Amino acid sequence: MSTAYSAVGWNRQKKIYDGWIAAFCISYLALFISLTLLFNSEATFETILIRSTSTLAVLLLHIILSIGPLTRLNKKFMPLLYNRRHLGVTMFSFSAVHGIFGIIQFHSLSNTNPLLSLFLSNTNYGSIPAFPFQALGFFALIIFFLMAITSHDFWLHNLSPIVWKTLHMFVYAAYILVVMHVMLGVIQYEKNPVFVLILFTGSASLIILHLLAGLKERKIDKMKFKLQEDGFVYVCEADEIEDSRAKIFCIDQERIAVYRHEQKLYAIHNVCKHQGGPLGEGKIVDGCITCPWHGYQYLPHNGQSPPPFKERVSTYDVRVNHNKVWLNPIAFAEGTEREGALL
Amino acid sequence: MIISVILIIALIYLLIGVLFVPFFYAKCIRHIDETAKGSSIGFYIIISPGVIVFWPVLLRKWRKALKEQAYE
Ligand code: HEM
Ligand code: FES
Repeated sequence: MSTAYSAVGWNRQKKIYDGWIAAFCISYLALFISLTLLFNSEATFETILIRSTSTLAVLLLHIILSIGPLTRLNKKFMPLLYNRRHLGVTMFSFSAVHGIFGIIQFHSLSNTNPLLSLFLSNTNYGSIPAFPFQALGFFALIIFFLMAITSHDFWLHNLSPIVWKTLHMFVYAAYILVVMHVMLGVIQYEKNPVFVLILFTGSASLIILHLLAGLKERKIDKMKFKLQEDGFVYVCEADEIEDSRAKIFCIDQERIAVYRHEQKLYAIHNVCKHQGGPLGEGKIVDGCITCPWHGYQYLPHNGQSPPPFKERVSTYDVRVNHNKVWLNPIAFAEGTEREGALL
Repeated sequence: MIISVILIIALIYLLIGVLFVPFFYAKCIRHIDETAKGSSIGFYIIISPGVIVFWPVLLRKWRKALKEQAYE
């Protein structure tokens, strides 16, 4: 929602966020390196580099993938979501260091091209215990690479949001590739089952988190709205909506956010124009509905971003009668002014 | 064998992408994205890897934009 692009849209919160990422990564690497030197003093520099960056990347990947469902389950996690893409680019950078040093360490000494060697030095593609697990890591790395290089808003606009979202959904495919890369690799290198156990626990918690969040969403979507009066549907009691906050209702497959702002209720489409963030999970900041994902803003009474920005979302009619909130699910054109309902 | 061929094709594809970058910044970007006007050098650096990989998408967008402008 900027008037011109900048390289990285840093502001105070994002700097704090990135500071935490840096502190976390440095502490992890320091801890990993000290423990390795303490317990496995023969480990070479390359081995330490390959193993510390790979495990850090996998840890970050688990954090990244749990942020989505966590924020759905509890609003307290919202700040984590705000700058998730920097976390993603960081994760890619560490996995790239791991991958590149892996290739240097294991494939640059022969006289074949290292990338060819990656696929051809082990051709047991039919065997599980001897599977060329590095190829799986390679494809995961390619997916992370494509996501990292398209993480700027320029790409969201120019690849179109649908293509961009689809590309970024491949993170789940990459996750599966990483799990197989690690599992199949570990059974070849390690006898210790601790590593498999840790990864298994990580995957299990991710799956459970996603299921829980999915169930919660479905409950909202399945809420049946029966009471109707000339197009308006009864949705809730007015005092169920906190000031400067919203409740989301899904009527006829459309998600609508009903916001309370200065003793009035306003309804807008729940989907942010930026990356489809849930506007109803945000709050009102400086008189504007503020998307919880990256802070795009919309005026409650007309769904327009304050000038000079140009984003617009659909608006809806709301009525309040004896503390009962009635919503008309027929959308007005994006950016249409609606006066809201006085409480 | 197949893998060598795939690698060579990928390399050629990316080389075309590299050559496309200066052309894209000089001629195309202002037709397909108004917001890019007046953006910082850092912005151009940061989107460059994407331009190298997704050059066919941008090329098509640019040609479409030119056609639309010709109609107007
Ligand atoms: C070109 C891509 C990649 C190559 C060539 C590669 C290579 C390797 C190699 C050789 C090992 C065994 C290292 C050892 O035990 O000393 C390994 C293990 C591992 N890889 Fe990768 N890998 C790649 C991509 C990835 C990616 C994208 C991730 C995850 C983000 C990843 C995560 C891991 C993990 C967690 C281990 C087990 C811990 C370790 O031994 O380092 N790898 N990889
Ligand atoms: S989705 Fe990015 S600001 Fe709303």
